[in-house]
Amino acid sequence: MTKSEFLKTLETELCVLPQADVQNTLDFYNEMIDDRIEEGVLEEDAVSQVGDAQEIAKQIIMETPISKLVKQKIKSKRSMTAVEIVLLILGSPIWLSLIVSGFAVLLSVYLSIWAIVISLWACEVSFIGGILGGIVSACIICATGQNVYAGAVMLAAGLFLVGFSILFFFVCKAATSCMVWISKKMLLWIKSLFLRKEQK
Amino acid sequence: MDIQMKRGLLDLCVLSAIKDEDSYGYQIIKDIKPYIEISESTLYPILRRLEMADLLTVRTVEYNGRLRKYYHITDMGIKRIQDFKTEWDEIKNIYNFVTREEAQ
Repeated sequence: MTKSEFLKTLETELCVLPQADVQNTLDFYNEMIDDRIEEGVLEEDAVSQVGDAQEIAKQIIMETPISKLVKQKIKSKRSMTAVEIVLLILGSPIWLSLIVSGFAVLLSVYLSIWAIVISLWACEVSFIGGILGGIVSACIICATGQNVYAGAVMLAAGLFLVGFSILFFFVCKAATSCMVWISKKMLLWIKSLFLRKEQK
Repeated sequence: MDIQMKRGLLDLCVLSAIKDEDSYGYQIIKDIKPYIEISESTLYPILRRLEMADLLTVRTVEYNGRLRKYYHITDMGIKRIQDFKTEWDEIKNIYNFVTREEAQ
């Protein structure tokens, strides 16, 4: 790779940065390569000693604060032509509503999954209520000396619910931790979406 | 070496490379290389950072029909090196603390 090819690649890769920063970087590497050539190193070797242009650019962009990248992005947006701006505004009823509805769908899917988890917990609560009801009613039936069999059935139902609700508790817990995991993943995904947009 | 630690040491190395007389990028790299690993892509952000922090200033000089940037240390840069000397005593204490069990 020649020096000019190297600098050209670097310039293209750094296009997200402010022009002054790009020029500064190019000057720096230009000087570095020239100094090597002056020392007797072949141009091609000098370029490869300095490093890979794409890697260098990536590193510089990663070290640039996001605020600067965003600022630059907004600045470059300002250079939109009048036609583009008009189209953007005229089209806003379409793209804006599409974006909003897209987000609404995502949100509702997310909330309905949470609703399942909540209803599982509601079942658990009702089971515990069933335990209490079964035992209390069994006591009342026995105490008042009514049908003993009915009391036994109530007691059995209550005891069954004790076992069942313990098992069900673990199901609820697993569902909740699964949901928390999904939420974390989604948050990360949304964040990476924005980051990628800002870096490009 | 730990990245954070190396970063701090590299700053100091660059400052001390221009401490006695102004120097330029390639010369700085050659001066530092025997002591700590450094490449162009590491030096560039360091120089920018030190310039932003007013520890050094940059001037462009014409040399052999092309431009070369010379870096000049500021008073704050010299102070940074002085501070390192006093910090070194603290670091030595920390070192003794961290390695105390091995010494036994």
